Amino acid sequence: MVADVVAPAPAARPQIRIEGAVKSFGGHVVVDVDELVLGDRPIEGLIGPNGAGKTTLMRMIMHSIPLDRGSVTLRPVDGPEVALSKLPADQMARHGVVKSNQVITDFDKLTILDSLLLASTEHRYEQPYRVFSEELVFERYGSEIARYLDYFGFTDARALALSAGEKKLLDIIRCLLVKPSFLMLDEPTAGLPGELTEKVMATIREIAAAGTAVVIVEHDLNVIWSLCDEVHFMAEGKVVLHGDPQSIREHRTVVEKYLGEGHV
Amino acid sequence: MLDWLDAFLITGLFEVVMIAGLGLLLHLQLGLARIANFGVVGFWGVGMYTFGVLYVKVDWPFGDPWQFLACAAAATLVAGLAGALVGWLISDLDIDGVLVVTLGFATAVQIVATTEADWTGGAFGLGGLGFPYDIGTVKENEFVWLMITGLLVAAILFYVWRVHRSPYGRLLIATGGNEPLARSLGKPTFRTKLWLFVVTSAAMGLLGAMEAVMVRYLDVGHIGISITLAAIVGLVLGGTARVWGAVVGTVLTVGLFDIVIRTYLPLPREWYSQALPVMREVLFGLALILVLLFRPLGLLGDMRRDQLMRKLHGR
Repeated sequence: MVADVVAPAPAARPQIRIEGAVKSFGGHVVVDVDELVLGDRPIEGLIGPNGAGKTTLMRMIMHSIPLDRGSVTLRPVDGPEVALSKLPADQMARHGVVKSNQVITDFDKLTILDSLLLASTEHRYEQPYRVFSEELVFERYGSEIARYLDYFGFTDARALALSAGEKKLLDIIRCLLVKPSFLMLDEPTAGLPGELTEKVMATIREIAAAGTAVVIVEHDLNVIWSLCDEVHFMAEGKVVLHGDPQSIREHRTVVEKYLGEGHV
Repeated sequence: MLDWLDAFLITGLFEVVMIAGLGLLLHLQLGLARIANFGVVGFWGVGMYTFGVLYVKVDWPFGDPWQFLACAAAATLVAGLAGALVGWLISDLDIDGVLVVTLGFATAVQIVATTEADWTGGAFGLGGLGFPYDIGTVKENEFVWLMITGLLVAAILFYVWRVHRSPYGRLLIATGGNEPLARSLGKPTFRTKLWLFVVTSAAMGLLGAMEAVMVRYLDVGHIGISITLAAIVGLVLGGTARVWGAVVGTVLTVGLFDIVIRTYLPLPREWYSQALPVMREVLFGLALILVLLFRPLGLLGDMRRDQLMRKLHGR
């Protein structure tokens, strides 16, 4: 379904390198990552108990939370390295780094179609003097948007998104329409019914196969075990383990700190 | 010629057109991008006084209409620069901060206009302004100026109408509604808000220059809070988020008061200098309170993007 709306696979994937990244709130260290490279494998998972610092780490990468110290660097497929921790938030997407939101968030006044056209549209069409460019924009991006809407079963894209599930899906589709080279998904399937969860997973597989590096934070571990090529396990703000899903799943520390006995 | 037309009616209509123009520009700022500019009169006043001072104090090598055009262009530019400065100052402030800074800016403009008497005439005012043409009587000149200003405001209305139907309008609504989300999609929200503020402030300055020509004598009483209040009341009454909100609201407030009550009701003459202006502010304030209490989205209601999208892109 979405194979025809994603770009053909490039030879390599971008990587994000996190070095000495520390974040505290009120004197309590929430994240303290010595060194972590994301993007070595097509789909990577970030798991850990509540409060482990997963979402905070992702937000630090996106610079929506400033780092106390350390650095986050993007190593693109081609071109020089980019210090993400020094970039304004709006320039992340222009470097291909995009993140979906854990908490459901939307544009209250915009319809579903509006919201997706906004994500698709290049900024040159959004200048104050280009007030006659709507038709051009719709011609350019309308069919790609329609394919996503059909696939995820939206019936009326000209209406406002009402349900939490619709808003969650919209958040993911918006990210895809930005054409990310590095996509981070924070609990992308939370609250979605089984059928839509499968569709989201299929989409993630396809964009990863097409060359996008994907990192997922997810509490539904079935999603992690079936999607990810590599899993990073976080506890108490640190990344304590890396490995393939099978080894992480069976690792003593993970079982003790997160999964509990009898899970494996 | 124009015997059928009351001179007061021309003045009243001009007031309606002027406030509707300011309300439309405020709609772009407040209704779409959620920038609560309470200093509308500041930018209008910058344009008015820049125009007046340049027109009267500078010895231009050419006469009207070029003198008018040069001074109006300068007024637009200076108001735009003031918009850039204030827009930059408020870019990271919350709604309370924006309110205070813009209100403070408008006050500062009035104080400067009062104290820099060598340039502005201070409390005595600045005379010597006139129409950039002369086609006959004062009434005829004023009528033509009303038509020209009406065309300018109609152009602003058309622009606002197109903005709602463009990707730019969508970006403004997104920026106003959820700026962090818009930013995460790669939208340069700071630049977007700043340019919006520059362009709309410049247009407010141009309207100020148009007003200077109409009144032909500037005094600091012209640039008081009542202008901002009228623009806000008109916009909120009509509907902050709707294209026609400012127009409908201004007709129902300024139009009703300045034309119907002021011109056609048989009121005692002594009321005109003191009582009526005060009554106007009281009624406008009351209208604002009642609208916010009983119909906070205004008479035309909320933005209807669903209807617009169906109209633009089918079902």
